[in-house]
Amino acid sequence: MLRHRAAALLGAAALLVSGCAKSENTATAPEPGGSDAQQQVVESPTGPAGAGCTIARQGATAFDLKTAVVGFSQSEKEANPFRIAETQSIKDEAAKLGIANLKVTNAQSQFAKQISDVQQLIAQGAQLLVIAPLNSDGWEPVLQQAAAKKVPIITIDRKINARHCADFLTFIGSDFVEQGRRAADQMIEALGGKGKVAILLGAPGNNVTTERTQGFKEQVAAKAPDIEITFEQTGEFAREKGQQVTEQLIQSNPDIDGIYAENDEMALGAVTALKGAGKKAGDIKIVSIDGTRGAVQGIVDGWIFGVVESNPRFGQLAFATAQKFLDGEAIPEKVIISDREYDAANAEASLGQAY
Amino acid sequence: MTTTTRERAGSLFRRHGALLVLGALLVIGTLAFDSFTTPANLGNIATASSFLAIVAVGMTFVIISGGIDLSVGSLFVLGGVLAAYGSRYGVVVALLLPLVVCGVFGLVQGVIIARTRMAPFIVTLAGLLAARGLMLSLTDEGATTYLVEDDLFASIGQGAVLDVGYPFLVMLAILAVAVVFLQRTGFGQNVYAIGGNEDAAALMGVPVARTKIVVYLTSGLLAGLAGALNAARLSSGVTILGIGMELDVIAAVVIGGTLLTGGAGGLGGTIAGALLLGVIQNLINQIPGLSSSFQQVVSGAFLAAVVITHRVLGGVRDDDS
Repeated sequence: MLRHRAAALLGAAALLVSGCAKSENTATAPEPGGSDAQQQVVESPTGPAGAGCTIARQGATAFDLKTAVVGFSQSEKEANPFRIAETQSIKDEAAKLGIANLKVTNAQSQFAKQISDVQQLIAQGAQLLVIAPLNSDGWEPVLQQAAAKKVPIITIDRKINARHCADFLTFIGSDFVEQGRRAADQMIEALGGKGKVAILLGAPGNNVTTERTQGFKEQVAAKAPDIEITFEQTGEFAREKGQQVTEQLIQSNPDIDGIYAENDEMALGAVTALKGAGKKAGDIKIVSIDGTRGAVQGIVDGWIFGVVESNPRFGQLAFATAQKFLDGEAIPEKVIISDREYDAANAEASLGQAY
Repeated sequence: MTTTTRERAGSLFRRHGALLVLGALLVIGTLAFDSFTTPANLGNIATASSFLAIVAVGMTFVIISGGIDLSVGSLFVLGGVLAAYGSRYGVVVALLLPLVVCGVFGLVQGVIIARTRMAPFIVTLAGLLAARGLMLSLTDEGATTYLVEDDLFASIGQGAVLDVGYPFLVMLAILAVAVVFLQRTGFGQNVYAIGGNEDAAALMGVPVARTKIVVYLTSGLLAGLAGALNAARLSSGVTILGIGMELDVIAAVVIGGTLLTGGAGGLGGTIAGALLLGVIQNLINQIPGLSSSFQQVVSGAFLAAVVITHRVLGGVRDDDS
């Protein structure tokens, strides 16, 4: 009997010990500052009247953000700079607005956990949910519980496939097709409108990959028909996979002129592969999307030609949108966050603002 | 005299340790957090844990028989995709399609393990890769998510009695049947006998091969069923599930007191182990400022604590082989 109690105590102790530790990542967070705030302007104005979602239509009762329980569900492990900057931006903005009761969860890249996390936030009385979804489908249990309590849901950086207003309030994100087009513009400039290009695709099965690919291909076809896309393979948004695929690429297509990496991590993997193959900086033009500090440094070093940013600083826009909704304004299905662009001309000066 | 007390304590802890820790955590959670012991929250934990628990029931049979099944995470996601795809032809197809395909996976793995005496680790690792590959090829590399189109099928996953979802009730029913099979039939005795000492069991006339085949078949079927129920709950065949799930399932079984070396263990502990993992996740979320990464730290600590306690209290039992 004593042994049992000891075991139970051991369990409790384990929980307490972990309770003493604090979360650690603040080092790589983006610096707060004027330029930061400027980046968060809405690019597209609010949609046409009548099309938006108003609080009257959605059915929630207005509340004060400052005193409300606000839940934020992060999808992936904070092992990549985008996620770190994203979470930090939500926390910083909440602190700035005086939102006292912000609850943050992280699904550690496990979808089943994210569903449980958000359900728990709802059970804890969250009145507003900000979700960075790991997957676009499979949200039924969450949507049902949120709808029953009329909790507005704002999704950031990825969509949830559901009905606007009835299921979710709005999706705030970048225009990924536009990012692809802008990356294509950079590639066209880099190659002078002629050459062979490889694409390192993102993880299959999400709209980011599809739209970044679509935008790039459309723009290349329209503006530079002499650029040929000769190789496409997924690097799953991961550095080591990007490196691995690029190593194969150099073997199978030694005459490649440019690499379009659908995120910075894969681009940095590609740089490693090119270095390993004895290439020199600038031999093969790399264009990527995200705007992490490592990639912008890559521009400074000459390995990467240009980077289109995917802005992770959703905090201000998310809470401003929520406030507008609570004030009775109509909210469109999609709110677009503005992205900047880095190339050799501004990389060194902008290094401090990259995340 | 001391040895017997120790042995008895060891056996007691092995059987009921997870349940006791679970009870303790529920009490701590209730005292420490207002939003823990609400019907909605407990209902969420129970429903969310039931899928892991169903898979863990199958895994308990496998581990008691001295084997391991690494393919369950892949079969879980494959089952979900097949169920969502099959739902366009009605509820019967939605349930049968994943059961048949995952059952065949389990059966083939069982036959290979039983007939060639290859290590279950390798055979089911191959199954893990094959099932995930099949799932990816059915979904355009994971890009296509089939939506559940049959309302009756969806209601199996989404319905609830007093905040407790139907999947939890299905899990309880499966548990009841499984307990009878494991504890009250010759088949159950054979599973223990094979896990205790396979050669001795064979000499005593236990049908080793047949028992093993049934064990892996059961594991495959339950993984497919859990995947199907989860697809019904999510209304879609989500393709990013199940990665690393086999390790959580094994953790639940071992925390529940089943010895990884085979021959000893039970189903009650397994269910307690699965619920324990769910409760830990929920409690970690309750603590403000504590990163979710600690969930794995705490779950790992529990696993280590359980295994060490087995060793200390039940050393004699662990050593005989």
